[in-house]
Amino acid sequence: MRIDGTHKKWLVASLIILSVATTVYVLYASNSVTGPRGGSAIGLTFGIIGSAFMIFSGLLAARKKVEVWRLGRAQSWMRGHLWLGFLSLPMILFHGGFKFGGPLTAVLMVLLILVVASGVFGAALQHYLPKVMTSEVPFETIFEQIDHVRAQLLAEADELIARASAPLKLVAAAPSGDLAATADSVLAADDALAPLRTFYTREMRPFLENSGERKQPLADAERARGIFDGLRRLLPAGTHETANNLEEICEEERQLRRQVRLHHLLHDWLMLHIPLSFALLLLGCVHAVMALRF
Amino acid sequence: MPRTKLTTKKLAQRIDMHYFKRPHPLRRWRTRLSILVPVLAIVWVGWAALTRNDRVYSSGKMSAGHAVLSARCGECHVKEAGSFSAKASDQACRACHDGPTHHANQKFTPNCSSCHAEHRGHKHLAATADVNCTQCHANLRAADGPTQFVIHIEGFGAAHPEFAALRPGSVDPGRIKLNHAAHLKAKILGPNGPVQLDCEDCHRTAASNAAWRFGAVQPAMKSMPAEMDPPSRVSARAYMSPILYAHNCIGCHALQFDKRFQESVPHDKPEIVHAFVVQKFEQYIATHPAELRVEGPARNLPQQPMPPAVRVLAPQQWVAERAAEVEQLLWRKTCAECHSLSLSAGAQLPAVAKSNITPRWFSHAVFSHDAHRFLKCLECHTGASKSQESADTLLPGIQTCERCHHTGEEAAESRCFECHTYHDWSKEKPVKGMLTISHSRRGS
Repeated sequence: MRIDGTHKKWLVASLIILSVATTVYVLYASNSVTGPRGGSAIGLTFGIIGSAFMIFSGLLAARKKVEVWRLGRAQSWMRGHLWLGFLSLPMILFHGGFKFGGPLTAVLMVLLILVVASGVFGAALQHYLPKVMTSEVPFETIFEQIDHVRAQLLAEADELIARASAPLKLVAAAPSGDLAATADSVLAADDALAPLRTFYTREMRPFLENSGERKQPLADAERARGIFDGLRRLLPAGTHETANNLEEICEEERQLRRQVRLHHLLHDWLMLHIPLSFALLLLGCVHAVMALRF
Repeated sequence: MPRTKLTTKKLAQRIDMHYFKRPHPLRRWRTRLSILVPVLAIVWVGWAALTRNDRVYSSGKMSAGHAVLSARCGECHVKEAGSFSAKASDQACRACHDGPTHHANQKFTPNCSSCHAEHRGHKHLAATADVNCTQCHANLRAADGPTQFVIHIEGFGAAHPEFAALRPGSVDPGRIKLNHAAHLKAKILGPNGPVQLDCEDCHRTAASNAAWRFGAVQPAMKSMPAEMDPPSRVSARAYMSPILYAHNCIGCHALQFDKRFQESVPHDKPEIVHAFVVQKFEQYIATHPAELRVEGPARNLPQQPMPPAVRVLAPQQWVAERAAEVEQLLWRKTCAECHSLSLSAGAQLPAVAKSNITPRWFSHAVFSHDAHRFLKCLECHTGASKSQESADTLLPGIQTCERCHHTGEEAAESRCFECHTYHDWSKEKPVKGMLTISHSRRGS
């Protein structure tokens, strides 16, 4: 989600809440006899507010699972998730008086910091990367389809090479009176296509097959352009179209690779954010119950 | 032949329409982790519950004094039958500590934990905040009406009154005639020639075991009188012991009474001194009968009958005359050098005024000389080297304390607890220990 002018109301509301909470905390902490404590009336209030913000942020997962619920727009939920989730950190810090306390509260505090930090990191990525994706990956496809599309590219490239060799086979198969001349012409044509075949089998096919290899020459657009320019100089004019098509396939493969990288950047932080959020909410409930006990 | 142009339709045709039926590994891992991490959290908490380890729920490290009980939550957090709550109660505190009330007529008694906040780290629990004291002492009111104490105190350096002993009209009640200035002069006459006295030649704490420079070998040093004992928790190094003749004076101020004897009279009541003197003369005349022949006075006294030139006395008479002469000297000069004696009409022996030495000047505060041992005595007791009168109170004033004890990071502690104790430890009841070392270290 892009954080643009539409977030202005949320930003202002969040700043007001943060300012009021900070003022209350400073007054409370400076007048507290034994220092700020989570169990005091004000400390408990901060804890309840912070927990409410966290629970609301966590409900986004439920809202996403049941999209048909008529409980506000998805955008509003996401904005609430972003801003209230962010505010939960200062609220809980005020609740604990900026102390990590014992084992459970320390774990909770670390979890909250990781969740909020990963969320902020993710929000920043979600703000910038879609723009990058649009400009750098015109061939963008559904992420889950990338392997499927890549297999089709390989098949297409194989077919292009086979098609380029087809006239050669036709010449070889054609009945001719002058066998020696035919053989010479086949050999000559075969020699002319040798650089293409060598390039394809040694460089391009491994490039299309091994998507994880980054050091391949074709993985770099500049180097790939040079390689294809050189290849075209070695090939007869009639096969330049094939070389152009292969170059285009390489470009598409590079874009898919770029899309994979950007997708990981965009979504990998969720591998930390979501599991830790669940653990945080769960342990938060345990903390609330046990704090009432002790 | 050019490559097929990738129209939207062509792009769409490349898509496997059933892809959503096979979750991507990234999504699968996210789901797995979303289950695994909370499960790990449950296992952790569950394991703590199974092993009855409530430390997991501790809100912070225990204080220095209670750190050994960190694994024994249940010692303080006593759970009442049928109740889920297990809050630490005053009753649990009193199982190990008696906390005597501050004053019988105080308006309210706070909970233990309102002043001694536990689980705030490895600190000293007695180090309470001033607000705990000033919530009453800033505007003191007793439950039964006006109070005799200063009403407005907001902390040390904030409307704290001067020490009572230094307020106008207060004098040192001591009756021993002591001139500090004379004793601190250079080259005063000592037992073996000129000496320079130091403060510690006379003033030492009960814990000191060094030999007295001008004292006699005596039994163990006597501590201060029971009624003057400091609060029971104050170290023996805190206060100076009362001055004793045997420790501090005997070296220079011998109590010799007659040239016939090397011994001194005992430093005791006049009756005992008198008995001692009489006994000594009786023993002496028994072995020196020639001295019963006494020559008369060298000159005539006006309006008195002419005494015989030589008198022969009975032993009792000789002893009585010698004792009278010696006691005249003792009562009028030797003893009177330090003590105030009064001879009432008809009394044979004088009454000696009580020495009234003040062993503790602070009746509502504690002080430790040991904690200040790095300082020169005269740095605080500035008047000692010039004081000539016993009535001079040589207690340092509050301004002297404030030179070090004030707020700020590079200052000595200045909160109330540094000098004052809330609990009246003189009323402390003994507590019977209930724990064992191995028990206290086991998890609850």
